[in-house]
Amino acid sequence: MAGAIVTRGLTKHYGRVAALDDLDLTVEPGEVFGYLGPNGAGKTTTIRLLLGIARATHGRAEVLGIDCQADPVEAHRRLAYVPGEASLWPQLTGQETLHLLGRLHGSCDEAYRRTLVERFDLDASKKVRTYSKGNRQKVVLIGALMTRAEVLLLDEPTSGLDPLMEQTFRECVRDAHDRGQTVFLSSHILGEVEALCERVAILRAGKLVEVGRLADMRHLAALSIEAQLQGPPPDVAHVDGVIDAVVDGNTLRCRVTGSIDPLLRALAPVGVRRLISREPSLEELFLAHYGTEPAHAA
Amino acid sequence: MPREARHAVLWMAGRRTLRAGVVWGLGFGVLVATTAAGYAGAFPTLESRQKLATSFSSNPGIAALIGPARRLDTVAGFTAWRTIGIVSIVGAVWGLFWGTRALRGEEDAGRWELVLAGPTTRGRATGETLTALLLGWVALLVVTIVCVVASSRSTAISFDAGNAVLLCCAITATALLFMAIGAAAAQLASTRRQANAIGGGVLGASYLVRMVADADSRLSWLRWASPLGWIEELRPFAGARPIVLVLIAAVAVALGVVAIRLADARDCGSGSLRVADSRALDRRGLQSPFGLSLRLLRPTMVAWFASLSVAGVIFGLVAQSAAEGISGNTVVEDSIARIGGRRGGAQAYLGLTLVIAAALIAFVVASHISALRAEEDEGHLDTLFAQPVSRTRWLVGRAVIAAGVAVLAGVTTGVGAWLGAASQHTRLDFATLVAAGLNLAPPALFVVGVGVLVHGFHPRWAPTVAYTLVAWSFVIELVASVINANHWLLDTSLLYHLAPAPATDPRWSSAAALVGLGVAAAVVGVVRFEHRDL
Repeated sequence: MAGAIVTRGLTKHYGRVAALDDLDLTVEPGEVFGYLGPNGAGKTTTIRLLLGIARATHGRAEVLGIDCQADPVEAHRRLAYVPGEASLWPQLTGQETLHLLGRLHGSCDEAYRRTLVERFDLDASKKVRTYSKGNRQKVVLIGALMTRAEVLLLDEPTSGLDPLMEQTFRECVRDAHDRGQTVFLSSHILGEVEALCERVAILRAGKLVEVGRLADMRHLAALSIEAQLQGPPPDVAHVDGVIDAVVDGNTLRCRVTGSIDPLLRALAPVGVRRLISREPSLEELFLAHYGTEPAHAA
Repeated sequence: MPREARHAVLWMAGRRTLRAGVVWGLGFGVLVATTAAGYAGAFPTLESRQKLATSFSSNPGIAALIGPARRLDTVAGFTAWRTIGIVSIVGAVWGLFWGTRALRGEEDAGRWELVLAGPTTRGRATGETLTALLLGWVALLVVTIVCVVASSRSTAISFDAGNAVLLCCAITATALLFMAIGAAAAQLASTRRQANAIGGGVLGASYLVRMVADADSRLSWLRWASPLGWIEELRPFAGARPIVLVLIAAVAVALGVVAIRLADARDCGSGSLRVADSRALDRRGLQSPFGLSLRLLRPTMVAWFASLSVAGVIFGLVAQSAAEGISGNTVVEDSIARIGGRRGGAQAYLGLTLVIAAALIAFVVASHISALRAEEDEGHLDTLFAQPVSRTRWLVGRAVIAAGVAVLAGVTTGVGAWLGAASQHTRLDFATLVAAGLNLAPPALFVVGVGVLVHGFHPRWAPTVAYTLVAWSFVIELVASVINANHWLLDTSLLYHLAPAPATDPRWSSAAALVGLGVAAAVVGVVRFEHRDL
């Protein structure tokens, strides 16, 4: 199996509950890959399986060609991980924690660590016990980034960070990308994923429902249309590809999947004053998969 | 507001403490009843009872260890002496743990903040939690009383009800006092661990002061300086002084009020005693998981080594005088012979008392097993095992540390006993006492093995299994020293497999068997741990 991160048929059951079901995923070396899903979709389970902290019910998971289930220690030498909820030793200081993480990992770019401490504005001489959630998160972020590991597994890495620090984080991920590191970013913050990732995967109830380039996904998904007409809009409910039509005076708002031509033909007799079409945002793509309606592009 | 919402803190904490109070009350009651029944069975005649009373009553060594022996020629007198001296210590530890758990453990876990976000204040929430603790203690007292009064219906025991109630008050009073001490310490300290250390220090000092007071009749006034002395002054079945209960209640209430005041005055998450929040980089132990474990466990390990060596010194100090009192007493010699002792004198006395140290060492080791579970629970293992750290090496490292603690603690106790004995010109061989100290380790090593085994399969059960194993062994040992129990029952106690060195030579073969079984269990546990989910 080629790729920085590869899973084949990766499945995890907790009792009767399938937390992750038959996941096939390939993350290419050097790409920033977004991993989306609502709470309980199986994002963290995937990462725990990639770390070998949880054992797969069946299937395989590889990081840089190393079987993470069979040889987690070897895999960990080449990856770094940031959890969403940092659990650190309260009696150590930030500096001591970073020293420990560096020694345990085996590689640490000391100069880069100092830069990161400055960029994230962390007072590393304080005990972890006194840190806020955001400061604890900074410690684990610096701890992972300073290793310059080939693969970064980030699980909700910016939870608790303020918007300024969030920007610093994005710069660091771009730096990592420029250096050729692979970044696997599991996140709820769609703006962050949209800004950083070329490809995304969307997970729902343990199953992969969508994976691909963001641009392609947008292209394939429904267009949002707003048409201002010269008279009352015709009934477009039965026009091919039109969904969610809403009429407001002479204005029609709807979404269109596939070709826009049937809608244009239906509107032409009334006379179109203005027509705005917009590709869906990641948020709309995301909601389309989690709304009550079934996923279209699965 | 509905009643439940108004007293949410009380109901929440109360449910747990009530349950614990009932369970431990049963345990206390059964201990009192078995001690009484054991005495009645082992010393059936008045003559044998009087002989026991004469040898123990005037013995400063025994008095220092357990407390002043009064009316040992009666079932009630012996039971009161034995249970006040031993069960009350268990009660104190129980109270301290519950006090700090409810008032600092919740805060450490971040749940207290949620409670304080509700319609309450820091002081009121602390007050309600104290009330919940009080309810738990009342449950402990009531269940103990019910058990003791029920058992006293047996004609062989026949306690009078008033004194029986006073006895139950005496053995549970330390639980109340140390709950209150724990509650106050929880306000002073910044973490539960620190609060436990403060409370543990108070308990250790109380025990030492009580020992000094009981060892020398000229210093008996010192009893009033120790909570453990107050409960002796209640004197059930030997000139009862229930008035002392007023002092105990007053001190508990005062400590409760102090706790509420301190809680109101401090910030949530910090303690009244200020500690430094920053320091320069200290690299010690930060190079490997093993080093990290040593660093994190060091403060408690040092405290235990110090306590055990002090205990060893005290055992050694009083050994000779105690031995003089019991020499020639067939009843006592029988009781030593029953647990396998052959030699007399100071060696016999040390053989009997070092068993207590063996139980303590096993308890320390059980706390290491509990720490494994806590680290996994708090998510520290996720952080650790996301690094290139082998699970096997980590768990083996932790088992080695726990085993090392057991061996070192044993040797420390032995050396302490030698020092104490030597200072009194008691002629005891250094090598013999070091061997006797080493002999204390095998039961603890077995606990390490079983603890690691359970941690490998079902981490949530590991602390319970380890602590229960130790507690069960100790209880059976207490029973065994008084009565001729069924050997199948005795075999279930780890301490029973311990030769009472230096009263006899250590039985290295059975020690090796215990250690071998422990190692085998640990290996299975480690293999399983490597393959399970965290």
